[in-house]
Amino acid sequence: MDDYQTCPKCKTTKYRNPAMVLMVNACGHALCESCVELLFAKGSGACPECKCPLRRNNFRVQLFEDPAVDKEVDIRKRILKEFNKRQEDFPTLREYNDYLEEVETIIFNLVFDIDPAGTNKMIDNYKKENKDITQKNRNRQSQEEMELEELLEAEKAQQSEKANLYVNAELEEKKQKHKAREKLIDELMFSDADAKSIVASHVQATAALAKEQPKAAAQPSSGVVKSSKFSSGVQIGLRGQHTNSFLPIPKQEDLPLHRYTAPVFDYDGPPPPAIEKLGKLNYFANIRAANITERAGGYTEAMSCCRALQEALGGLFYSPQLTHKTAVLATNSSTQDTDDMETT
Amino acid sequence: MKLNVDGLLVYFPYDYIYPEQFSYMLELKRALDAKGHCLLEMPSGTGKTTTLLSLIVAYMKAHPLDLTKLVYCSRTVPEIEKVMEELRKLMNYYEKEMGMEQNILGLALSSRKNLCIHPSVSKEREGKVVDGRCYSLTASFVRARHAADDAVPICEFYEGFDAHGKEFPLPPGVYNLDDLKEYGQTKRWCPYFLARHTITHANIVVYSYHYLLDPKIAEVVSKEISKSSVVVFDEAHNIDNVCIDSMSVKITKRLLDKCSNSITILETTISNMKENDSKRLEKEYKRLVEGLRDATIARETDMALVNPVLPSEILEEAVPGTIRTAEHFVAFLKRVVEYIKTRLRVQHVVQESPAGFLRDIHTKVCIDRKPLRFTAERLASLIRTLEISDLTDFSPLVTVSHFATLVSTYTKGFTIIIEPFEDRAPTVSNPILYFSCLDSSIAIKPVFNRFQTVVITSGTLSPLDMYPKILDFHPVIMTSFTMTLARPCILPMIVSKGNDQVAMSSRYETREDTAVIRNYGNLLVEVAAAVPDGIVCFFTSYLYLETIVSSWYDQGIIDQLQRHKLLFIETQDAAETSLALINYIKACDNGRGAVLLSVARGKVSEGIDFDHHLGRAVLMFGIPYVYTQSRILRARLEYLRDQFQIRENDFLTFDAMRHAAQCLGRCMRGKTDYGIMVLADKRFSRADKRSKLPKWIQEHLKDTNCNLSTEECVQICKRWLRQMAQPFSREDQLGISLLTLEQLQSEEMQKKIQQRAQGV
Repeated sequence: MDDYQTCPKCKTTKYRNPAMVLMVNACGHALCESCVELLFAKGSGACPECKCPLRRNNFRVQLFEDPAVDKEVDIRKRILKEFNKRQEDFPTLREYNDYLEEVETIIFNLVFDIDPAGTNKMIDNYKKENKDITQKNRNRQSQEEMELEELLEAEKAQQSEKANLYVNAELEEKKQKHKAREKLIDELMFSDADAKSIVASHVQATAALAKEQPKAAAQPSSGVVKSSKFSSGVQIGLRGQHTNSFLPIPKQEDLPLHRYTAPVFDYDGPPPPAIEKLGKLNYFANIRAANITERAGGYTEAMSCCRALQEALGGLFYSPQLTHKTAVLATNSSTQDTDDMETT
Repeated sequence: MKLNVDGLLVYFPYDYIYPEQFSYMLELKRALDAKGHCLLEMPSGTGKTTTLLSLIVAYMKAHPLDLTKLVYCSRTVPEIEKVMEELRKLMNYYEKEMGMEQNILGLALSSRKNLCIHPSVSKEREGKVVDGRCYSLTASFVRARHAADDAVPICEFYEGFDAHGKEFPLPPGVYNLDDLKEYGQTKRWCPYFLARHTITHANIVVYSYHYLLDPKIAEVVSKEISKSSVVVFDEAHNIDNVCIDSMSVKITKRLLDKCSNSITILETTISNMKENDSKRLEKEYKRLVEGLRDATIARETDMALVNPVLPSEILEEAVPGTIRTAEHFVAFLKRVVEYIKTRLRVQHVVQESPAGFLRDIHTKVCIDRKPLRFTAERLASLIRTLEISDLTDFSPLVTVSHFATLVSTYTKGFTIIIEPFEDRAPTVSNPILYFSCLDSSIAIKPVFNRFQTVVITSGTLSPLDMYPKILDFHPVIMTSFTMTLARPCILPMIVSKGNDQVAMSSRYETREDTAVIRNYGNLLVEVAAAVPDGIVCFFTSYLYLETIVSSWYDQGIIDQLQRHKLLFIETQDAAETSLALINYIKACDNGRGAVLLSVARGKVSEGIDFDHHLGRAVLMFGIPYVYTQSRILRARLEYLRDQFQIRENDFLTFDAMRHAAQCLGRCMRGKTDYGIMVLADKRFSRADKRSKLPKWIQEHLKDTNCNLSTEECVQICKRWLRQMAQPFSREDQLGISLLTLEQLQSEEMQKKIQQRAQGV
């Protein structure tokens, strides 16, 4: 396929000399191996095409069909050694992209010899400014590379594991088949039962085995296959159809507005005297009057008195046939409360 | 006939109905109600298409909000036309019954090649050329140039459509390809763009698989189809292969050389443009700095180049700085192409994962993953900016860019195989890089996710449970229907030995054995003597066909055969094959009788029907396993085993049996038809093979017919043919395999149908 490759100096082609190997140097012009030896016997010399000075040690085997690409890749590798900032080093993606473009421009300029002085200056400037970042990044893999490495490793691990698994499974299956067959023959030889029934039972047994087999084969591998669910049962990633369930707050459903209704008490007793009338009826005589500090908080003796009366009278009409448990509870607690009141 | 299917009023355009059609409707309705996917197998020739159409149209009429659109995918243009005919019949029936115009719009869509009415462009034969020339007449920049200078040619039909066609929707009705063309002629509108525009609001769309499955096309054509549609894949037994093909890329040395040429063209065009009109490049540059999303919102005609599936987050991101300017991008492409060239210069087969490839390309030519991912999009943008109107030259480069994008997007489910030569010719260097998709679910996943109901149906889908596994979806209904028959009109037989008791098999070990070949020959000769009219034979491969025919010639079997019938052979050349087919049909029509030797998986086995006298017998010589040494197949088998727990042998048998069933089904195209099916291989009688045949064949395959010799087979054939040759009228079928409305509604039949539905 590369028969038409020709050395520009001696015009040898790959077709005529299959052993010919083309070499390239920094300038991107190809020469065959023998020409390189002839022209650069001294160790250094000028490129026959562009006359730029070259050293013999820098000649490499041409990798690509187009020597210009070889040259570009060389330059690129050199430049990228210095310009190795990562996306993490930039505050925004936009700036990172601008930086990438700048690097690309530098490489492009170097490859096509556009404004060499300016470009070299730019490189030098950059080198000075970003010495430490360059140093630091040299030892660090980019995130992308790490991802790839991880993937490759996972693939390798999976492959070896699978290979083992299936080889074992197959061996096992063969063994079992062999065993079953031997068993059948033994039985046919030594038992007195009807041959037909023996064969029938054998067929049944193998069918049952065959049913079990796929399950057994599937089970160990299911451990290897990455589960698509978290332990809570939520799917990893957004592949599920119900993407709504991933919202942090469940969606509020539209309900009618809340309307206040006064609670209805099940009082079951004679109505206690109104709170305003307590003073007149001289109930306060039996109660400790509120002191100044208590009054400051808005407390009056009328309140506790009223409550004690309500609790005392509530539930007096209660009859067990009519009402339910809660009423009983209410009366119990009310008696307790009144006890408390009295002790205080 | 008006039917009541589980509470749904269905208009059925015929006076009679097959019982299985009714059960099919029941199952389909259940799937539609459940808004889930389903797999339905029903023998060919029992009216699948009309059943599907009448039920879905009725459902659309009854629940206009739940089901808005039917997308019917078929394989070939003739099949599309058949569907349109059925649809027209159905709509006529509706009109007659309801007495008014129906508000349903159905249309067929095909490529530009089939729809173009431009006087000179439509003369082109090749699809790609038509696309390219259409683009050069309708691209936005061409039209802009035309506005400035009248000498630039444009397409008047597209202009007409663009000026008026968008405001006036197509009136309701059924439009097949010819109707569209006619409508386009009268209105002077381009039918292709009219059809594409109409897709969004048509009720029924009929087109090829690729418009939905190939991500490169689906992105453009089918993007705006709403979620509440039902998608039907007809003749879907090969759907997994279609999915895989749509995501795979094959790169040869020649393709790469063409790429290098087009890169030089790009370079010169860029430098020209820089001198004359640098503004446009700057504009593109600015747009790319902002992000790609705007770039994708381009004119519809500019969509000739599109990207393979990309996660949408990538599209919203800005193009990486390394390929932002045009020169840098071209240099980038050059490096990619040169790199692939070096990869092709291998001496032995290489197989690696996308991750390995990405790492290698990074170390060799310093290309990161991210810019690689944007290649397809960036190339499309560049070509648009450069206003290159002749796209046909760039298709190799587009292929490479798709490859670059795919390889960097998907790290799982793909593999790269580089073969320096073909296995059959190991001395001729012909390096090919296969980027092969191993997971058929990748391409079809968006379809399953997007649409509420996807119906996968075919005459031969057995074994049904394999499809959900390899396509990775959960069907709500999975049913195989059999054919109710008034007489046993198929006769499947497994012939396992010749008259000399030598086992017949196409096993690798025995396929060269002269005894086996002779036995196959004797079988064919004796069957040919007994069976009238046409006989079709299928072999496992072209290679096997050739070796067998040559040894038959030596053994004198060909001479014996020609005493009874004429002999025709399918070859890999399509033109030759179609000539053979024409003459085969002629020979059958005039009563001379003929034998056609063809190949399973070939053109004959896939698309051509041999109804009635054209195929009275089908002989399957051997089990049509795929070529198992192919590395792509090996990789896929491994992937299926690891990812879906499908054993290699299971998949291979499944694949072989579905092709065998496809071949056997060729001779049965309806209930009045009859045909013999001979499976000539010992291995067919094993339970694992037999159980994988479609139910409607298995039903008639009796145990006594499973281990026959040639002589026995011929005896059975003779007796059966005598029985089949008796006159057979509709009255014989009525009530058993053909029902009137009253018979359908009778209690007994309803009970039977219920039982059938439960039994499966």
